[in-house]
Amino acid sequence: MSEMKKIKNLKEFSTSADRFEGANLLCPGCAHSIIVREILNATNDPLVLSASTGCLEVCTAVYPYTSWDASWIHIGFENSSTAIAGAEAMYKTLKRKGKLPASCEGKSPKFIAFGGDGATYDIGFQWISGCFERGHDMMYVCLDNEVYANTGGQRSSATPIGSSTTTSPAGRVSYGEKMNKKDMVQIMAAHGSPYVAQVAPNKWKDMIKKIQKGFATEGPVYINAMSACTTEWKFAPDDTIAISDLATDSLVFPLYEIENGTKLTITYRPKNKIPVRDYLGAQGRFKHLFKPEYEYLIDEWQKRVDDYWEYLQRREEAGV
Amino acid sequence: MKYLGWDELLPGAILFSFDEEMEKDACEVLPENRPYAETNSHEAYVGDWRVLKPVYNRDLCIDCQFCWIYCPDVSIISRDKKMIGVDYDHCKGCGICVEVCPTNPKSLLMFEERIENETALAQWPEKE
Repeated sequence: MSEMKKIKNLKEFSTSADRFEGANLLCPGCAHSIIVREILNATNDPLVLSASTGCLEVCTAVYPYTSWDASWIHIGFENSSTAIAGAEAMYKTLKRKGKLPASCEGKSPKFIAFGGDGATYDIGFQWISGCFERGHDMMYVCLDNEVYANTGGQRSSATPIGSSTTTSPAGRVSYGEKMNKKDMVQIMAAHGSPYVAQVAPNKWKDMIKKIQKGFATEGPVYINAMSACTTEWKFAPDDTIAISDLATDSLVFPLYEIENGTKLTITYRPKNKIPVRDYLGAQGRFKHLFKPEYEYLIDEWQKRVDDYWEYLQRREEAGV
Repeated sequence: MKYLGWDELLPGAILFSFDEEMEKDACEVLPENRPYAETNSHEAYVGDWRVLKPVYNRDLCIDCQFCWIYCPDVSIISRDKKMIGVDYDHCKGCGICVEVCPTNPKSLLMFEERIENETALAQWPEKE
């Protein structure tokens, strides 16, 4: 294990040389690249990366360009996890047989798979589950923007109730998405993963800490990263960080981690808890909820968020 | 660069980020010293996406680096813990850097593309 990169403060962190390049084709104000930059800059070890089909993949590998200054592979929608698991298994075997090239001496590459919420919650779920069951030493990062943003904003199983998407449009007869969001973090914790965490790019310190902890952990690590989507959540591109702040401070996206499948720790407690109404009101996809006939849904939202926060706190107290 | 047609490409493709093998990992080499290949998106230009551009005022900056960490397009250039400018080839003009800037008045502000940076600096607002 090589030494962990020391990041005491933002000034020190800003001396990092990015291994992710600009002039990718992600939308202006996209949180995906903020998350990717924070993750890649959290380590100085060599990187082996993969990405599922999704915004991140199609925008960073547009022929004839690549935006990655590290080994990166894309195969299909469902198998960024298995692609990286295969690379990790091969690395381990070559190492055991002493067949690694001399340039790999004394290095500990990090294996990271990126996937959107569509690739994680729906299409690639079985593959991720397999990787976690086999216990590969890898990190899976879900860039959770709660919608299939790359193909025009269809609902995914990460889309929350009341959100208007192209396949669950809000209108006279419907308030939009009817299903609640799947709790992927708990599902991955239930696999017995040694480390599972939810992160948000606006809380960079919390994020770097969790990512480095994930890197230091042996075995499959799952990171659920909230990625505010300016195009599909319908807010101005310069508001990405403000919306992320609303999400973490209203506890719609509570920041916590689970070790060894059981030990839950809340890592961020907002000083001033913001009503969920403010978070919903800042986004176009929830605009219709403020009509009198759908307003009861906002109260339901608040109750759901409060109940979940209560549940997390109880779990933390009990240490199980 | 010569673009290949769809029927000239082999299934699967490998693109190289750099023209030559680097002795160190890219994370130890600053962008200005990297042998970028022409297939690296660093060589591409997205400046024409912008409607408004961020203009940087060195005199007000406290080097907090919020703009650096929250820039989605790797367009804030920071060296030796100092913010030194905006990379207008890669900046798409989203305006996040201006939103997160904590100084008063802000040390980054959005101006129209056609306005020269010097002119913009001359019309900088006063402290509120």
